[in-house]
Amino acid sequence: MVRMAEMPAVGRGFIAELDMPAIDEPGWTHAPPAGERRVAVVSSAAVSKRGEKPFSWLARDYRVIGVDDRDLVMTHVAVEYDRTAWQQDINTILPFDRLEEMADDREIGSVASEHYAFMGASDPRDMERSANEVIKRMRRDNVNTVFLIPV
Amino acid sequence: MSVLAHYFESAGFVTVLVGFVREHMQAIAPPRALWLDFPMGRPLGKPNDPDYQKSVIRAAFRLFDEPEGPVLEDFPDVIAVRHGRMGYALPVDTVCSIDDIGDVDALLSQVQGEVTQLRDAYDAAVAARGRTTVGASEVAIADLAPYIAEFVKGRKPKSLRAGMAPVPLLKLVVEDLNAYYTESRTHRDSIDDFELMGQWFWEQCKAGQLLLWLEAVSLYSEDKVLRQIVDLSLITPRFWSEGPLPGTSGSDW
Repeated sequence: MVRMAEMPAVGRGFIAELDMPAIDEPGWTHAPPAGERRVAVVSSAAVSKRGEKPFSWLARDYRVIGVDDRDLVMTHVAVEYDRTAWQQDINTILPFDRLEEMADDREIGSVASEHYAFMGASDPRDMERSANEVIKRMRRDNVNTVFLIPV
Repeated sequence: MSVLAHYFESAGFVTVLVGFVREHMQAIAPPRALWLDFPMGRPLGKPNDPDYQKSVIRAAFRLFDEPEGPVLEDFPDVIAVRHGRMGYALPVDTVCSIDDIGDVDALLSQVQGEVTQLRDAYDAAVAARGRTTVGASEVAIADLAPYIAEFVKGRKPKSLRAGMAPVPLLKLVVEDLNAYYTESRTHRDSIDDFELMGQWFWEQCKAGQLLLWLEAVSLYSEDKVLRQIVDLSLITPRFWSEGPLPGTSGSDW
């Protein structure tokens, strides 16, 4: 079981010292029935469509990924995590194919048209403005369910 | 990601998060969270294994049945990591000094030979997968290693990409070169082992040697940004090392 105490010294030291923001009034939204869920993925993998502007190293902005987009590149600042999995299969970080299959099998209602990528190395408190923009886009796409996936 | 979950949940969306660092998930307490005892970089677990990937999604989505939160559960399966490290890390004894640097042009020639040798495997990988992750830098594959070699020689070449400074481009060039090698090899030899791929690229390939020389030069560069990104292990993978890091501020981590 990899807990922080078992991590090697350098990474453990960095992760242990990260400032954990306090959430004053956490919200709670009741889930709609499975068949009514329209699911959007929010990733912190700093992926974007080929040719788009790369993420800066402490980016506060986001990129929109269409559900059919597969020609993606990653410009995450960190190199400490495995990139060979997503090179082999995009579904290891953006499970669009799996969600489409689950929609076909009526395990969920549908998959959103748009999904969203952030730079996971940035302080999320600096992302609130971008999050609010994503919220507007998800409402326009009739999304009610968000699946957040780190890298 | 846990903070983003709070933003979205408070706006009326129902959210669920998967994550790797349990202590952080406990501290920020997103509404619904599933802890994955997996290596970082593979949150859905296993490439080309749809059943396993769906098992992760289903475990996460079962948290939607919880009447109240926050709720944090553990995914029951473990994908083991080595020595507690969540990704590949260069051994500490691979650190080079400037005195170790030899004939850069000769090494560059050997790297270009490796690139040429891998070309058929790379093309086959792209054809089989229908995609490639190489190209974040927008620098041609044949130009990747020569661009890096200029920095190893102590020069700062002109950027090959409009609108991007030379050093940020260098980082993307390094990652493209690494991806070119690993995309080729994982497909050619049907390997899904990031530790093995890390050892191969960084410790056995001439490309890895070139990058270790880059690290050695950069730690003494007059370019502050270059010095910092190498010092912080943003070029060479030393984050999961027992340390100390080769740079000047590594002891502060």
